[in-house]
Amino acid sequence: MRQNPKYPAMQESLDTAGDEEARLTASLELNEATFRHVFEDCSDIVFRRVRFERQESLLVIYIASLTDEQVIDDHILKPLMSRGTGQADSEQSGAEALKDRLITSASARLSSDVNEIVRQLLNGQAAVLQDGDSVAILVKADGIKQRSLEEPSSEPVIRGPRDGFIENISTNMGLLRSRLKTSRLKMESVTVGELSRTQVVLAYIAGIATESLIGEVRERVGRIQIDGILDSGYIEEFIEDLPYSPFPQTHSTERPDVVAAELLEGKIAILVDNSPFVLIVPMTFWTGLQASEDYYIRWPVATFVRWIRFLFIFIAIFAPSLYVAVTTFHQEMIPTNLVLSIASARESVPFPALFEALLMEIVFEALREAGIRLPKQIGQAISIVGALVIGQAAVQAGIISAPVVIIVSITGIATFTIPRYSFASGVRLLRFPILFLAGTLGLYGIVLGFLGIVLHVASLRSFGVPYLTPLAPIQPSSLKDTLMRLPIWAKRHRPQASGSADRVREPAGQQPSPYRGKRS
Amino acid sequence: MKRGFKACLLLCACLLSGCWDRTEINDLAFITGSAFDLTDTGDYKLSLQIAIPSSNQGGAAGGGAQQKFFVLSATGKNANEAFEKLQKKSSRKLFTAHRSVIFIGEALGKKGINGILDIFVHDPRQRLRTYIMVVKGGEAEKVLQTKYPFDQVPMEAVKEMEGQQSEIAVNLREFFISASSPGIDPIMGAIEVEPEGNEQVKARLFKLAGSAVFKEMRMVGLLNGEETDALNWATDHMEDGRINAALPDGQGNVGMLVTHARRKITADTRGERIRFKVLLQGKGTLIENNTDLNISRPKNIALAEQALEKSAEKQVSEAMLKLQKQFDADAVGFGQILRRNKPKQWKTIQKQWERKFAEADIEVVVKLSIAGAGMAGPPLQWSKKEIRE
Repeated sequence: MRQNPKYPAMQESLDTAGDEEARLTASLELNEATFRHVFEDCSDIVFRRVRFERQESLLVIYIASLTDEQVIDDHILKPLMSRGTGQADSEQSGAEALKDRLITSASARLSSDVNEIVRQLLNGQAAVLQDGDSVAILVKADGIKQRSLEEPSSEPVIRGPRDGFIENISTNMGLLRSRLKTSRLKMESVTVGELSRTQVVLAYIAGIATESLIGEVRERVGRIQIDGILDSGYIEEFIEDLPYSPFPQTHSTERPDVVAAELLEGKIAILVDNSPFVLIVPMTFWTGLQASEDYYIRWPVATFVRWIRFLFIFIAIFAPSLYVAVTTFHQEMIPTNLVLSIASARESVPFPALFEALLMEIVFEALREAGIRLPKQIGQAISIVGALVIGQAAVQAGIISAPVVIIVSITGIATFTIPRYSFASGVRLLRFPILFLAGTLGLYGIVLGFLGIVLHVASLRSFGVPYLTPLAPIQPSSLKDTLMRLPIWAKRHRPQASGSADRVREPAGQQPSPYRGKRS
Repeated sequence: MKRGFKACLLLCACLLSGCWDRTEINDLAFITGSAFDLTDTGDYKLSLQIAIPSSNQGGAAGGGAQQKFFVLSATGKNANEAFEKLQKKSSRKLFTAHRSVIFIGEALGKKGINGILDIFVHDPRQRLRTYIMVVKGGEAEKVLQTKYPFDQVPMEAVKEMEGQQSEIAVNLREFFISASSPGIDPIMGAIEVEPEGNEQVKARLFKLAGSAVFKEMRMVGLLNGEETDALNWATDHMEDGRINAALPDGQGNVGMLVTHARRKITADTRGERIRFKVLLQGKGTLIENNTDLNISRPKNIALAEQALEKSAEKQVSEAMLKLQKQFDADAVGFGQILRRNKPKQWKTIQKQWERKFAEADIEVVVKLSIAGAGMAGPPLQWSKKEIRE
């Protein structure tokens, strides 16, 4: 653990016995005093004394709120008390004999480092100390309540696996490992956060992910210095390439199948304890428009759906702006009948088109935000209020014109077609500057805004990979999975984007046909 | 700092290079049609039909009695002056981009339209795709005041009528092209207001009324519907045309729908008088048979063809004659054909083309082929015995 000299307070708050190289002593009393000092005023620490006839005594320390007391009862206390310590083999020292003979837990190890023991206690392990021995046995007994695996509500699918990550990192690692049963799936563990001591795991497949990328991720994660990491969002903000961009540069997902698929393409996943969202780097623009289901449904449908999304991301950014620009600057562009019906709809509206559109967009965003924040039972009420008040009443009262309501709803629907939530949020945000440009400069302003977005996206990088790869710079072989979603058997190579070392995924000639394998 | 300065410069370059022209849609008065008339003092009277947008919102609520448009008029020495006076009468900015038709009163057409045409070229807010028409027998303003049952504004109806190409439809661009080309005289469509029903109910309709032939920016005459059809075919603008003919033996008549029309004009400049041969070819189906002939027989088809050809030849020849002798206007563009096919001869003829055209022999040959006889051979109401095979 590196210390930050700028923040001495942080150093002091570290869970140590004060002294850097503290070791256990042979005296149980002394050791107990040490731990009692460290965990002073911590009401959830338990010191359990076990005494035997021969005046030998044991001390079991654990943190009740983190451990499963059933495990401590069954695997530590029960064997110890029923058999005593006397039977211990004289060849071995006391603690080691205890560990080898009596502790019936799969994970048990020895340690004499006070700091280490404190750390493991805080990770939910139990420590068994013996009188006259300067070694403690650490037994895994963590049993914090976890929720069960559920379908991730932020990324639902019709077809495809329905399990999602949860807040417990070892469960999440298990979900990944069960999908990629290979020793090449590496999971490096790092601890981040001076106080939270959050476990962060970098997962990648050795031989597919490039060393340089692994090194870069390791370094960026290792650099983080903060008191606490509460969600993977914290990590994301520390490792981004360009923090001022509206576009996310790491792909966060709750779905283990997505992570596994990305790992197979040579990307790196960052799992963070206590967060169901796993970060995947590098991310490209197209990832934001791909849903995991694209790969589970038939490919022509998937390709069609992708094009729908391409169309609707444009609508999501530009529809209100185009309406405002065309109705306030370029009325000659609209067909006569349409311009007359727009004009009649706007006849009683007191606001300029820009203000009208802006108002409705903001109200829509507020509705969406309220829908997320409100308790589920009230959510329905909000949607009724939203639909009726905003949609009907405002138009009938002549405050808002009907075309604007239509445009805003189409835009709203369009943002929901973007499968990645954080990407969709960025797109939503872009609407407003473009709307202002459209309201002040017309189509000219929209073109300026569009150019700005294109320039920004084209110069954006995520862990060294250009954001628009494989379209710009163009990598024809990787386009099979960008503008199209070709059949799985046709996508023989991993995308070049992440620079994967081992590019071939599958042998050629796997196109199914009735004659396949029968021809000589 | 330097970067910020550069960005500012770039921004200035983007923002200072044009005029700001933001206008809300409800600050515009959409002109749907204009009309030019001649006043007694010789000034121009400009009338504008302006759509009233509020009336077409929610048809049921409006009750139908509301006006869909209103007409403003003003006089001036030129179009610009009249337009300025009109702008002063309107609380909203007059917006010409959605105007679909410009009408010219017959009187003004006869006097000459040179004085009003230029504004359509100079002003960038005008559209060259606007149709231009002459109002037959009356003031052009009358057309603007006509209520038409279809469409939000009546002028859209005129636009649709013109778009059907059932008669000649000429927009400003086409008019300017033929007016400025040598060897062709411009034409434009004509429209007529006709009272519908009894006079007390002031429901009036307008109908297309052939075409107006111009020469040197002055209207020289009107062609009726049939003559206009003939002109359409002769200028190769016919999309589909109907020909009717009575059979020679007086046994009823037949009607044909020509769907594939072509024309070919050949010129012979060897003689003193230039000879033009107008070959019109048409393919189509027989759609009406009011005779007792069994039309599914090839020989009867040939009979019908002959009758139709003769009828069409007569129709086109008469139109050509009218143009040549009565109007002395080369609306078909014989001169243009000469110029394209025989440029050398054209150069010598060009100066005296007017006289040469009036003297020229124009022969019209129509070749029709009936490709289908329709659904039934003989009319179904006849009994088998009565049908002539």
